[in-house]
Amino acid sequence: MIPVRAYFRLFTGYMRPYRRQAVLLAVVLFATIGLQLANPQLIAVFINRALEDASAETLIPLAALFMAVAVAHQLLMVWASYLAEQIGWSATNQMRADLMDHLIRLDMGFHKGSSPGELIERIDGDVTALSNFFSSMIIKVVGNGVLLTGILVLLWFQSWIVGLSITVFTLLAVLGMLRLHGVTVPWQKAIRATSAEMYGFIGEQIDGTEDIEANGATNFMVRRFDEIQRRWLPQVVLGWTGWAMMRITSMGLYFFSLVMVYVLGSWQFGVGTLTIGSVYLVFQYVQMSHMPIEQIREELIDLQKAGASIARVEDLFARKSKLVQREARTLPHDALSVAFDNVTFRYDDEAGDEIVLDGVSFAIKPGRVVGLLGRTGSGKSTIARLLTRLYEPQGGAVRIDGNATWDIDLETLRERVALVTQDVQLFRATVRDNLTFFDPTITDDKLREVLHRLELDEWLATLPDELDTTLDSGSGGLSAGQAQLLAFTRVFLRNPGVVVLDEASSRLDPATETLLERAVDHLLQDRTAIVIAHRLATIARADDIVILEDGKVIETGERLTLMEDEDSVFSRLLRTGIEEVLT
Amino acid sequence: MTKATHPPFRRALFALIRQQPIRYAWAQFLWISIWTMPILVGLITARFFDQLVDGTEVTSLLVLIAATFAYAAGRSVFIMLGMRNHGSMLFRGSAAIRRNVLQRIYELPGASPVSESPGEIVSRFRDDVEHVILPFDLSVDIAGAGLAGVLSIGILMTIDTTITFVILIPVAMVGIVAIQTGSLVRRYRTKARETTEAIAGFLGETFAATQSVKVAGAEANMLARFTALNDERRTMMVRDRTLTAVLEAVFRSTIYVGTGLVLLLAAGRITTTGGAGITLGEFSLFVFLLGIVTDAAYFSGMFVARAKQGAVSFERLTSTLRGDSWRRLFERSELNLDSEPPKPSRQTHEPEPFERLELVGLSYTYDGTDAGIDDVSLSVGAGEFVVVTGRIGSGKTTLLRAALGLLPVSSGFILWNGERVEDPEVSMAPPRVAYTPQVPRLFSMSLLENLVLGDDIDEEVLDESVYIATMTRDIEMMPEGLETLIGPRGVRLSGGQVQRSASARMFTRRPQLLVLDDVSSALDVETEKVLWERLFAARAGVATLVVSHRQAVMARADRIVVMDRGKIAATGTAAELQQTDETFRAIWDGTAGAGGR
Repeated sequence: MIPVRAYFRLFTGYMRPYRRQAVLLAVVLFATIGLQLANPQLIAVFINRALEDASAETLIPLAALFMAVAVAHQLLMVWASYLAEQIGWSATNQMRADLMDHLIRLDMGFHKGSSPGELIERIDGDVTALSNFFSSMIIKVVGNGVLLTGILVLLWFQSWIVGLSITVFTLLAVLGMLRLHGVTVPWQKAIRATSAEMYGFIGEQIDGTEDIEANGATNFMVRRFDEIQRRWLPQVVLGWTGWAMMRITSMGLYFFSLVMVYVLGSWQFGVGTLTIGSVYLVFQYVQMSHMPIEQIREELIDLQKAGASIARVEDLFARKSKLVQREARTLPHDALSVAFDNVTFRYDDEAGDEIVLDGVSFAIKPGRVVGLLGRTGSGKSTIARLLTRLYEPQGGAVRIDGNATWDIDLETLRERVALVTQDVQLFRATVRDNLTFFDPTITDDKLREVLHRLELDEWLATLPDELDTTLDSGSGGLSAGQAQLLAFTRVFLRNPGVVVLDEASSRLDPATETLLERAVDHLLQDRTAIVIAHRLATIARADDIVILEDGKVIETGERLTLMEDEDSVFSRLLRTGIEEVLT
Repeated sequence: MTKATHPPFRRALFALIRQQPIRYAWAQFLWISIWTMPILVGLITARFFDQLVDGTEVTSLLVLIAATFAYAAGRSVFIMLGMRNHGSMLFRGSAAIRRNVLQRIYELPGASPVSESPGEIVSRFRDDVEHVILPFDLSVDIAGAGLAGVLSIGILMTIDTTITFVILIPVAMVGIVAIQTGSLVRRYRTKARETTEAIAGFLGETFAATQSVKVAGAEANMLARFTALNDERRTMMVRDRTLTAVLEAVFRSTIYVGTGLVLLLAAGRITTTGGAGITLGEFSLFVFLLGIVTDAAYFSGMFVARAKQGAVSFERLTSTLRGDSWRRLFERSELNLDSEPPKPSRQTHEPEPFERLELVGLSYTYDGTDAGIDDVSLSVGAGEFVVVTGRIGSGKTTLLRAALGLLPVSSGFILWNGERVEDPEVSMAPPRVAYTPQVPRLFSMSLLENLVLGDDIDEEVLDESVYIATMTRDIEMMPEGLETLIGPRGVRLSGGQVQRSASARMFTRRPQLLVLDDVSSALDVETEKVLWERLFAARAGVATLVVSHRQAVMARADRIVVMDRGKIAATGTAAELQQTDETFRAIWDGTAGAGGR
């Protein structure tokens, strides 16, 4: 069915700021409809007078009036369309913004399951379908609906029997189209789903050309592409079949009405109920009624698309972040303590999923630097993610400054806990925006100071427009190591109480890393830190050590104490050879 | 980059037609019929009114009704056939463009085949393809509408030449307006498209970086930026759509002004008998056929406008081809839409044994920067293990990419077994070479598909590759093993698992030369140690070229190449370089003293 109710449920709130324009739009629209209905009446009068052999002088003003009304109608249509677009885009832009805001705040579990390409399609594709739906809904469906009603009413005035029969046909045709609409919605849904899959695939491909080409997988990928297109084609043809069925239905209505004009017109003219001009008027109205029905039919296509879009947008809005906020405490501006209390965590809530953290407990006093060690997959990065509350543990609690993470205002928490990972994403934007994350309140002086501390000023000087240089998407000229230094810059611009470095220097060469150490020493002063590293040298500054294995803490203690204890896992790791992994 | 000149859009249309001549001819036949048939309704109605006014009944009412129904039934069949054929034809046309662009992107050097973000490219595949296809779609309508228009004018001429000529004036104006406003339409549309692309690009990048955005607490800033982009787009869109509405109003006005003109000219001449005047039936025919003529003019105008918009998209798609001819877009490639193609038989012939890879004077500079490599020469012989090292930004990754044809070098060349490699972007791939990038990408498929990439890989080879990459245990832990779906870009795997899966993927290729870019960045010490041990044990003489800073890796190297600011600063074994090269010592010892900073 037509998702009008769902649509209004979703849209009413967004329409509220534009009430005035909406009222104006309605007025303009009604005026256009009135003019449109008036015009055939003029022709009928004209014909009746002409056949009564009235003089040209009385007829010419009628013809001129007819043209004036027609042109006025078209001008009003332009105005109405401008208003509808303006309202539609303003309101849906707000919806886009809300949707993006909502999605970006959803927990990472959601983001793991959806590709950026898909989300573009949701936020922009679906909402744009809704905005088209708004402009066409108001202008075409409502406007034409009122026009159609007006035509039917006027037909009743001409002759009730003509009015009745054409109303019945119209209702039958509209019912038929609605029924068809119900049949074809799933067809459209299938098309949209495949289309989202296709563009998701393309996005991923563009991102991975290096891997695909250098590993000889282009033919394979083209075959995958062909597979999607092969599934898509019959769906598209079925979609067109649906439209053809609609079009045939509305055409059927037109021809039944036309036959009614022939039959009833000659009968009513014969008995003298209708003048010849009135028969022509009825014919004109029937002709006219064809257009609004055609347009409503065409809009049903948009409606179908919009129906699917509404469902998806509502679905997205209905997604609740798995993070449940209990209280919104703030954090002091000092170094903060951190504690993991018997924390159990798996990425998927389902019981069968692999347990990543299994009863992890440790505590860090404010200002201490902790080195977190463990194999790949032992749960180190997960600890960083729980601490920044990207996920919520299933059991136990993560505490910062004694408060469980869900009791701390999320914004405060993210401001006071900084995380640097090895994955650095850059935006196609200026160097400044990339460093400040589009925060306009950070001054250039501050930026330069931080870049200087990280000894990046020489690099900055090589850029054509310094801070205003636009970085290309991907990395255009920026090596992975340089990108990682930029990520560090982002943290230096803030004033965190806890700093988590998750393999943050893994892409740097040892010499640059040493350089960075000095800056990091400065950064970690009077701050609590967790340093996750696979190179033991990286944690040389650690006060304490935590070693994880298979999601369990297998050793904790002061670094120096553990080093002295020959039986500790840590000293065994040290003996494995810090760098001499090959020998 | 200089702006390439583009061929007229008309040639794109002809190319689309040539792609599917039979379907197009069939479409033309069907749609010309669908468009011209309504003239019959006008004639039937004219007859009806004339008989009504006369009081005669030359053709009985029943015949008129029967004719109307027969007509409706016939047209319904044509519409069903016409639309189904149309859907298939338009899909095939756009499918070919999408496929050809994708193929072209694969041919381009893989490290930067396009300068746009993935989001922007997706928008090209989606919207620009549609805009190129739309005029192709309308070209069928315009032929039908045009023929119907011409026929209608012919019929009107037989009734009254003067009136016919007069009402053609506004119709002609429609065409003129359409052509005059074309460039404006095009400019507005370009702007609207650009702002839309910017939004798609921004969203794509934001959601690729969700974790960073969250951790930085930058949600509000991102939203502000997004809102600004949205506002810009709204302005452009409203402008574009309003212009469309204006044009539509102009076209629609024609029919009314024309009707008014008929009224003016016929005033005083409408009679019941015909003769010198015109009858009511003729008058109705005038108004009816005028509608058809205006439709024709309207469609011509719309076609011109859409063709201008299509031309914009055509240019953009052509620019995505990066230097290849626009013809490439419409190449009649095998789309494999109707049945699954036979699996390509795997190349069975063994490549000639590997002797030596030589890179001679390779140079590449990233656009708008000094970064890159400059005149780098290097060789790797059979069985050699060569390590490239250097400070960040010294050109290590660039060197590997240039050697693999993943970047278009500005000078220099590659020799394989002494023979010059003319198309490194294609032939520096398996069975010669395979590669694991520093930040590898996996794809939204099962892990198995990610590893074998469509090849028939023996189970033994697969197991061994997984084993060398130290993935065996990880796969055992996964609920569905190798069949596990790893999500978009492999997000369901950990960073280390992605890196090791990519290494396994490389090993399954069994290439003559292995190329690894800093495999250690996502692996812990013990895992990396195992990986190298297993690789050395299995390698048995396979040449290997790697980027690494690890002492242990460098110690095993037959040769180490130290890069500094895009050039080779020194070459030698670890022992030699420790004596002679300061940059190398800084990397080896991890002191920041040396280097050029």
